[in-house]
Amino acid sequence: MNAPDPLSPLTRASFASLERAGRFADSAGVVSGEAGSPATGTHVRFHLRLAGSRVAEARFQAYGCPHTLAVANWLAGEMAGRTREAPWPGAPPDWAARFEVPVAKLGRLLVIEDALRACLAAWPETVE
Amino acid sequence: MGRSPVYLDNAATTAVDPRVAAAMNECLTAEGVFGNPSAAHAYGREAARRVASARREVAAIVGADPASIVFTSGATEAANLALLGSARANADRRRHLVTARTEHRATLDPIRQLEKEGFAVTWLTPDRAGRIDPGAVRAALRPDTLYASIMHVNNETGMVQDIAAIGQVCREAGVLYHCDLAQGIGKLPTTEVARHVDFGSFTAHKIHGPKGVGALYVAPGARPWLRPIMYGGGQEQGLRSGTIPTHQVVGFGRACAIALAEGASDSARMRELRGALWRALATLPDVLPNSALDEGSPAILNVSFAGVEGESLVAGLTDVAVSTGSACNSASGEPSYVLRALGRDTELAQASLRFSLGRWTTLDDIERAAQAVRREVTRLRAVAP
Repeated sequence: MNAPDPLSPLTRASFASLERAGRFADSAGVVSGEAGSPATGTHVRFHLRLAGSRVAEARFQAYGCPHTLAVANWLAGEMAGRTREAPWPGAPPDWAARFEVPVAKLGRLLVIEDALRACLAAWPETVE
Repeated sequence: MGRSPVYLDNAATTAVDPRVAAAMNECLTAEGVFGNPSAAHAYGREAARRVASARREVAAIVGADPASIVFTSGATEAANLALLGSARANADRRRHLVTARTEHRATLDPIRQLEKEGFAVTWLTPDRAGRIDPGAVRAALRPDTLYASIMHVNNETGMVQDIAAIGQVCREAGVLYHCDLAQGIGKLPTTEVARHVDFGSFTAHKIHGPKGVGALYVAPGARPWLRPIMYGGGQEQGLRSGTIPTHQVVGFGRACAIALAEGASDSARMRELRGALWRALATLPDVLPNSALDEGSPAILNVSFAGVEGESLVAGLTDVAVSTGSACNSASGEPSYVLRALGRDTELAQASLRFSLGRWTTLDDIERAAQAVRREVTRLRAVAP
């Protein structure tokens, strides 16, 4: 059987691994932000462990469609080493293009962006 | 090359039985019975003989006289013929219809269309198990009610309605009764159906027959209430014009004959497997059955997995072919309207899987599927906030 996969290869690989899923133990250098809700079909939460002015490591938790999980997983991997000024790469249209997300699902990527922005709001101006 | 995915989507469609395919193959090529069954020459007469034989086989599965079977392109067309054809023929006399919110869209959409055309519709809501109380049907009937349309077996949950009681209610009130029989044929005893319903729509491809052919049973007393919805050569007693596809009809007949002969043993085996599947899935926490476990169709088990998003669950089950809700409307991405009508919230309705068994489902299939579902549900729950 050689049926086409409705998910792009990149989406499939990220969705299959979800290697950045999880969270950190609460501590002074950890910030979190979330958006959405299960009732709306998409709920995303990011956790950042900060080291000085940079992201040391990022994790995510998500309830949602495969594209939501795949993009959140990828973003969590991309955030390590980034600063408060540019904490994540690109914007929802860029992620949609990269992961071949159907237009009808763009709203779900906005939920991811909202969760990231909530993280940013919780990120103190100065971190020891 | 790896093993093929386990196929547990037989309520959507089934593989054609090789015995059916062989019968169809006899009616395709120049060496076979390819003639137009309406033609008077020898080729046509031989095709007509095969069609007549198939009509007897199809009629037998619903306990009907062969003359009351109208071949169509499938159950959707059969339902449209019954629902639109009778309503439009009697619009000047009776303009009230009764149906349930949990019907298949082959019923809902024509009735919604009739609502737009000015018919009044009473939409019944089932109880939380999915049952339509025959008393509720009786209470909904009015002097100007033309018909009630209540399905036999729900395509998403497998709930079985008491069509004998609903038929009696309708008969006593002088109201026609249309029944979507698509999921009951071959899974439950149906040879008494013709005694209970005026119109019965069903299809071949749910019982290991070919896609593209179905039938409408029209009780003799209901025939005067019906007029066609398409016109052409006047085939099928003028109710369904168009050349009769001999190979499709012959395949349908063979599928019905096999279902009649083997349906009871198939169903007993499927009921055992369905129980095994439920027991294996129920080892997970927060698993909720949307099907009646002790009754209902032996072929369908619908389950919600709390805390899991349905699309991700299906996408993660690369080794299992199942549906979220009805395959006919799963493209919409909306939560199942059937499960919503049964009172499930949006999350649980979205997090549902319909497992549907068929003639060739094995215990190994069930064990593989259960293992894959347990693994994926556990993985996705671990990722959720």
